[in-house]
Amino acid sequence: MEAGSLEGSLEALRPTLLAIARMQLRNETWAEDVVSETFVAALEGSRKFAGQSQLKTWVVGILKHKIIDQFRRTKREVSSDAQLEAAQVETFDELFAADGHRLNTPLDWGDPEESLSRTQFFDVLQMCIDKLPTSLARVFMMREWLDYDTDEICKELGITSTNCFVMLFRARMRLRECLEMQWFGGAAP
Amino acid sequence: MSRDAMVWWRRAMRLSWIRIPCSHAHRLLSERMDRPIKPGERWRLWLHLLVCDMCSRFERQIDFMRTAVRRFGQ
Repeated sequence: MEAGSLEGSLEALRPTLLAIARMQLRNETWAEDVVSETFVAALEGSRKFAGQSQLKTWVVGILKHKIIDQFRRTKREVSSDAQLEAAQVETFDELFAADGHRLNTPLDWGDPEESLSRTQFFDVLQMCIDKLPTSLARVFMMREWLDYDTDEICKELGITSTNCFVMLFRARMRLRECLEMQWFGGAAP
Repeated sequence: MSRDAMVWWRRAMRLSWIRIPCSHAHRLLSERMDRPIKPGERWRLWLHLLVCDMCSRFERQIDFMRTAVRRFGQ
């Protein structure tokens, strides 16, 4: 691919890449840095690309690596955030009675697969992830999007595996709640 | 479920060692996405899901969220 046209195609992807990087890193400067680094790496490696896969998939693959590098560079800050978050206790009292029984029924989401074909759904999903507390979002995205296993997350963030399971649980509970309110609860356009 | 099975089931559910509350089932459903859960946990969770629509719904919803998040950037 010619350098000029590649640059143009990369620019077109910038908003998507920035949104993903922000969601994962929860820091504006870091997000812009990793996207710039991704572009540099993509332009340098453009010969390797040679159109064998979709440009977006290839660039997102580079972005993942750059995000991981960013976490390593700022390990101290990221892990102290995570340790603070891990110390939070959240019991979801509004959902469960004292004996652990669930009080309100989760809504029937119907056929949620259908939502996956709608772009607005991903805007809502992104908004819900952005609403999570910083470290919950980072841990959740590391697990679900970067596909780390929990041992790797613990190692990167200096938290125990119990902390990690609890944080993932809290993230899923909050995210589920938000999706139900903002999308599945009839708020869908 | 047959009548006998129903009676047996009610009896079993009265046994505290086998019964887990929804709050515990929710936690196990989340954790089993991140670690292999122990046979005892798996068994209790399975029994709980047989009778609890709320937790079964929760299970499908968090599975769906995983699928959805993996689509970012695709």
